[in-house]
Amino acid sequence: MIYLDSAATTFQKPAGVAAAIWDALATMSSPGRGGYSAAMKAADTAFQCRSALADLFHLSNPEQVVFTMNATHALNIAIKSLVPPGGRAVISGYEHNAVTRPLAALSAQVSVASSPLFHPEEAVEAFRRLIVPGVNAVICNHVSNVFGYIQPVEEIAALCQKSGVPLIVDASQSAGVLPLNMEALGAAFIAMPGHKGLYGPQGTGVLLCREDVPTETLLEGGTGSMSLQQQMPDFLPDRLEAGTHNMPGIAGLLAGVRYIRNRGMDKILDRERRLIRSAVVELEKIPELRIFASPDGKHQAGVLSVVAGHQDAEKLGRALAEKNIAVRAGLHCAPLAHHNAGTLDTGTVRISVSDFNTLDEIARMAAAVRNSVMTG
Amino acid sequence: MEHYIILARSVTYAQRMQKALTRAGIRCQIYRAPRDLTDLGCAYAVRLAVTDLPAALTALHQESLDPVQIFLYQRGLYQEVSP
Repeated sequence: MIYLDSAATTFQKPAGVAAAIWDALATMSSPGRGGYSAAMKAADTAFQCRSALADLFHLSNPEQVVFTMNATHALNIAIKSLVPPGGRAVISGYEHNAVTRPLAALSAQVSVASSPLFHPEEAVEAFRRLIVPGVNAVICNHVSNVFGYIQPVEEIAALCQKSGVPLIVDASQSAGVLPLNMEALGAAFIAMPGHKGLYGPQGTGVLLCREDVPTETLLEGGTGSMSLQQQMPDFLPDRLEAGTHNMPGIAGLLAGVRYIRNRGMDKILDRERRLIRSAVVELEKIPELRIFASPDGKHQAGVLSVVAGHQDAEKLGRALAEKNIAVRAGLHCAPLAHHNAGTLDTGTVRISVSDFNTLDEIARMAAAVRNSVMTG
Repeated sequence: MEHYIILARSVTYAQRMQKALTRAGIRCQIYRAPRDLTDLGCAYAVRLAVTDLPAALTALHQESLDPVQIFLYQRGLYQEVSP
């Protein structure tokens, strides 16, 4: 299989990830639930993982690193901590349903800072107009999961700091690929999956929390601390981590983060960009295709969307699947992004890469697309 | 054997204390706190040699890690002491 759906999950993981998962299954019980060796080994692994993530994203305190099931879980905690029912939120035009559905569930008043693809200056201006005192939160993804568009989160963060409005960054497509500095951004929360650019297994996610921002619990239950008290602890990470931890997942995530540190995020980004540029060059030879690419590549990460004329994206996705090429077709759980880009009717075919793809795979994918489009 | 234990609010906090103490060259172990030392339920602590307490408190203070409570273990009994 040629796997080009890493924006959904990086199916190909570093070898150390599977080994760490097996080791966790064989040697670790539950962190914070005992003083015997299997519990302490689990606690040690969880702490190492928190510390590695804190280093990677520039947090001084690993207690502010909360493990979640996925980025959606992390975003739900962040949004529900900041936006009360009926509250006010400002979001970008490229947000995922993981952001828009919790806001809908809160009946929030949502203002969309719409701007065209790959024009970060216009995005900043759109946010500047909408970020005003009284807004409960600004929510913006770092990279669009549909188009790979890198949004100007540093500038948006500066606007938020100036207005005293808390910022939530959805780093689902950027964590492990693009640098993110929690302290410099001053973000209230940064949410991310553990199983995409961080190369952990599915079922892992992370929420980075600024120390002075109060949090609301989605779940209540055992934490291994303050057991006589019936309220959840008021300190992190325990407050947001009720129940037994996903230790195989956390151990695998730690191995994934170590891979990134050893390999270098800049090298991973460079590889992903070369793959995407190569895909653009090859696919541009097919006149029937509409390709959504950043003109100079500067504002795009490892995700590329294409549309074949007015054809339903699912048709091309199916044709590629029959050739054992895995891409994602449709709306990618982000109808707002498609609405903003004018692709709501057709959806797009999304090609997304990881550090484990090759230029040869890109060439074979492009040939398969050409063949499929030509034969109708 | 006589020793001190410094109570932590959680296992993660105890791990942060252990890391700070290790960095300062102080040997310690994470330890499940005896139930009768806290009225909050389950807790963790770090255990260290009696001679290391002053240096340990300095190291923890430098990293803004405040102990919940400190106990001296002596002749089979724990006795709370002031930081």
